[in-house]
Amino acid sequence: MIRVAAVGDIHMGPDTRGVLRPAFDTLPDCADVLLLAGDLTRHGTTDEARVVADEIRGLGVPVVAVLGNHDHHDDRQDEVSGLLRDAGAHVLEGEATVLSVGDARVGVAGTKGFGGGFVGASAGEFGEPVMKEFVRVSRRCADGLRTALERLAEEDCDVRIALTHYSPVPETLAGEPPEIYPFLGSYLLAEAIDTAGADLAVHGHAHAGSEHGMTTGGVKVRNVAQPVIGRAFHVYHLPLRERVGADAGTPAG
Amino acid sequence: MNTHDAGPAGGAPPAGPEYRVAHLQDRLASGELGELGVHAEVRGGAVLVTGTVPSARCRDEVLAVVREELGGLDVHTDVVVSESSSPDHAEELS
Ligand SMILES: [Fe+2]
Ligand SMILES: [Fe+2]
Repeated sequence: MIRVAAVGDIHMGPDTRGVLRPAFDTLPDCADVLLLAGDLTRHGTTDEARVVADEIRGLGVPVVAVLGNHDHHDDRQDEVSGLLRDAGAHVLEGEATVLSVGDARVGVAGTKGFGGGFVGASAGEFGEPVMKEFVRVSRRCADGLRTALERLAEEDCDVRIALTHYSPVPETLAGEPPEIYPFLGSYLLAEAIDTAGADLAVHGHAHAGSEHGMTTGGVKVRNVAQPVIGRAFHVYHLPLRERVGADAGTPAG
Repeated sequence: MNTHDAGPAGGAPPAGPEYRVAHLQDRLASGELGELGVHAEVRGGAVLVTGTVPSARCRDEVLAVVREELGGLDVHTDVVVSESSSPDHAEELS
């Protein structure tokens, strides 16, 4: 079993320095990895990123993060990523990382993702340049996620997790006004997850959404925005699949 | 609750609170707060402001902006600070 701790939308700033650390210090007892699902800062400033970096430095479990829209606000996303990396985090954008947990290999593929909406009510790449660019950015993020998940499949991971900020499914947005769903996620992310395969998808961004959802391909989705889970993080226990060649093989699904 | 007497009366009605609520939401999102987690909506004759924010200071700032933007309106607020304790259980995924 792999124990995955996750939280998003911690939106830290100088006035919340240290508030998550007592809870984070309990991670080695209850989790093998901490996933951060973006919106780690309020405005994406380097001052705020330093607060986040100090909060996660030397936690005793590996930390894997994606950035959120707030982390882009000050247009210093590369510096924000750099500060988090200096603190030991893996920061993913269309990339994957493989962590060793005991004998198991845990793969995490990540992207911020973007909006565009869901099947039946989604934006198309048509019309004004800014509208086309909106959809293209969303597609680029989803393509990056798919490629990263496929790379993990080749690397023979025991568990594969898709980590995004924007939501791949509408279910975990329940509680948000339906009118803003196109700004909260994109079906392209779910399509990438279902095409490449994953054991769990984790996202944030929808502060008023719901924790539980599933892609049409049957991949469990969890919205871990801190206001949704009402904790410093939530922990998910993922079973390890039987290795190929072992008997009592479990059917896929 | 529904009101039975609601409905457009003759003549130009005074502008409702909707635009002011929209401006509030704009200001919360784009102002120095960058607060997208607070939701304001008109319900009945009042404005309901709800959300979860990262700190008590953020909460105070949000409420100050709300007072400024919605002065004179009947406003109900339910803005809480994020809970930062450890979880007491894990979810088993099959
Ligand atoms: Fe957020
Ligand atoms: Fe966000």
